[in-house]
Amino acid sequence: MKEQETLAEHLRRQGISRRSFLKFCVATASLLGLPPGMAPLMAETLGKVRRPSVIWLSFQECTGCTESLTRSHSPTLESLLFDFISLDYHHTLQAASGEAAERAREEAMKANYGKYLVLVDGSVPLGEGGAYSTIAGRTNLEMLEETAKGAAALIAIGTCSSYGGLPYAHPNPTGAVPVSAIVKDKPVVNVPGCPPIPLAITGVVAHYLMFGALPELDEKGRPLSIYGETIHDRCYRRPFYDQGKFAKTFDDRGARAGWCLYELGCKGPTTHNACATTKWNGGTSFPIESGHGCLGCSEPDFWDAGSFYQALSTPLSSLDKAAGVAAGAGVAAGAAIAVHNRAAKRAAKAGHQAVTVNDLEK
Amino acid sequence: MSASFERGVNSFREVMDAPIASFFSSCVHCGLCADACLFYTETGDPKYTPIYKLEPLKRLWRQEYTLLGKLASLAGLSKPITDAELAEWSELVYDSCTLCGRCTVACPVGNDITYMVRKMREGMAAAGHAPEGVIEATRKTIEQGSPMGIQLKAFLAQVKGQEEETGIEIPLDKAGVDYLVIMSSMEILGYPEYLGSLARIFKQAGLTWTVSSEAFEATNSGIQIGVSDIAREIVLRVVNAAEKLGVKYVISPECGHAFTALRWEGPNLIGRPYKFEVVHVLELLDQLRRAGKLKTVGKTDEPLTLHDPCQIVRRGGVVAEPRNLIRMVASDFREMEDSGMYNWCCGGGGGVSANHRAEELRFTVFKRKKRQIEGTGAVTMVTACANCRNVLEEGLERYHMDTKMIGLTELVAEHLKEDEQA
Repeated sequence: MKEQETLAEHLRRQGISRRSFLKFCVATASLLGLPPGMAPLMAETLGKVRRPSVIWLSFQECTGCTESLTRSHSPTLESLLFDFISLDYHHTLQAASGEAAERAREEAMKANYGKYLVLVDGSVPLGEGGAYSTIAGRTNLEMLEETAKGAAALIAIGTCSSYGGLPYAHPNPTGAVPVSAIVKDKPVVNVPGCPPIPLAITGVVAHYLMFGALPELDEKGRPLSIYGETIHDRCYRRPFYDQGKFAKTFDDRGARAGWCLYELGCKGPTTHNACATTKWNGGTSFPIESGHGCLGCSEPDFWDAGSFYQALSTPLSSLDKAAGVAAGAGVAAGAAIAVHNRAAKRAAKAGHQAVTVNDLEK
Repeated sequence: MSASFERGVNSFREVMDAPIASFFSSCVHCGLCADACLFYTETGDPKYTPIYKLEPLKRLWRQEYTLLGKLASLAGLSKPITDAELAEWSELVYDSCTLCGRCTVACPVGNDITYMVRKMREGMAAAGHAPEGVIEATRKTIEQGSPMGIQLKAFLAQVKGQEEETGIEIPLDKAGVDYLVIMSSMEILGYPEYLGSLARIFKQAGLTWTVSSEAFEATNSGIQIGVSDIAREIVLRVVNAAEKLGVKYVISPECGHAFTALRWEGPNLIGRPYKFEVVHVLELLDQLRRAGKLKTVGKTDEPLTLHDPCQIVRRGGVVAEPRNLIRMVASDFREMEDSGMYNWCCGGGGGVSANHRAEELRFTVFKRKKRQIEGTGAVTMVTACANCRNVLEEGLERYHMDTKMIGLTELVAEHLKEDEQA
């Protein structure tokens, strides 16, 4: 791939029609919540951009996020867009190894200082001085700090780099933390999900390429346009929830009739993601369509949020001490107020003078 | 002793109970009760929003029974209620509320607003803010035995008249029978046929019954004005007479709030269960119908509609019975729009018909009933409450409508199969 090639030229060389590219832009624009009129503009802008340098760091991860992007949709425009970015460093995908690989990263950083994007999957272990995960003899922490210095922005791909994910789950033996816990002086976009929806990853990149800025984020650092609504609000089984029709087991009448999986532990009501609208596997379906509740994989601490099969309304654990004390204090205060109010009422009763017909006028 | 603001406020403190506390704290200010209230829908005046009628009581609850409210009043952020305010609220609590209970069924969080208005009247009456007409009715009940001043002599004259009319003996003070029949003063005065109708129906069904010289009046002004001390005294008249005669049942007549007073409030007022059961006359007639002891002939083919008395139907739960009975004797029964549980009040319940200053307002809100009646195209309207009937007849006259009115018991008796009499 030539350095100076534009995306449009690159796609043409790959045999992708302008029409297909436009379709991709329409899908991306709608996912990002941009007005429909933006799609042609997006195509034009993206078509002209030159390959930005991207460094992909993989830490404590399972490679699922990369799988999501490269394999499950291959060959798609999403992956082609990914081809197009100058992926200068990626453990799994790069051909180089050993010192050559590390040199590629250092060179990319130097050549594009202040302009490159850093994509991270996996959490960063801090326990034992970071010894739980090292690359080329260096801890993940060191590598992240060094790489982040010259980055324009960081995109945390997947729940591990966004919120800690599986390594972060109780009892968190490696002392894992998310990217946002370490990088404080650069913009960090979280694209959680285990794995995230491919279009969510490319959508953020496309947004950055087109506007030169990151999309608007929610309070958990996620792009609002993609994670603004819950699975539940967009779920095709929602009418059953509203009617109180719930499957009680995975093979009862309700389950066969496609009723709501809330009581079987579906985490849709508290999970913010676009699965119910963009779906998976090239728009085929999403987990609830296969008859299984949402696991809530794009939310922080989803591994520690109780059993996947426990209904959301059930308490996760017994009250801890602080909650117990607070509840006790609440009960005591309530009782004190009740005693006081009862006394007030008793006093009023004691002060009652029987009302006769002669007492009805002043 | 006489009424005073202090006694009123003390009563407010007394009536504050767990239901009221939970109702006030769970109100979400949705305003749905406004659209359920006859007085709001027919006037469009927001002051008639049911929950607003409770504002002084609510403020007192917040100031004296909640922590935040106490702090707010300490900080001077919440004004104490005043006598002038209660005077202003008298119209809202007495004139524009018939205790019909429609707001209660409309409330999405289940607040029994009607219950609270009833409780608020305790304080309003003790503070001297009950309307003159209702005070007068209460005084007559206590001093003469009936809110309309009907005395035993007049009652006995009507009994005699109905005996002559039907040729059936009406037992007086007969101990050991099953049923005690009591009447509302409106029936005694205006619709004595009710008693004659019962005599004929009971003869056919073979029931043993009596009327009492000690308790012939079923109404209870104490409930309407909102004074439990007086309501208790009035209820005890019936309880004492019934228990002395040893009857098994007391039949609550075609009167709405008499049923509420005797069936629901009574045992709570006297603090113990009765030694007899209270049955509404419609419940009894429907029981007889099911048991095959009520036999009628023929059906009227006149278009006929039913006005559901709020206290019997919505507040009393006697919904299916009047319909079963009407269908037994009428072939063209037409339900009003919003019938049964959601029927609209006649506009004169809960003491409003005794309250002269509310008269114009009562006629204004009658427009709703007028529309309902006109919507059915019926020529006759049946009801099962003498007070509703009287209020409706006045409304029909005011609006020059020629709808005929009849009591349900009377309608059934008109079709009674004569040769089946035992």
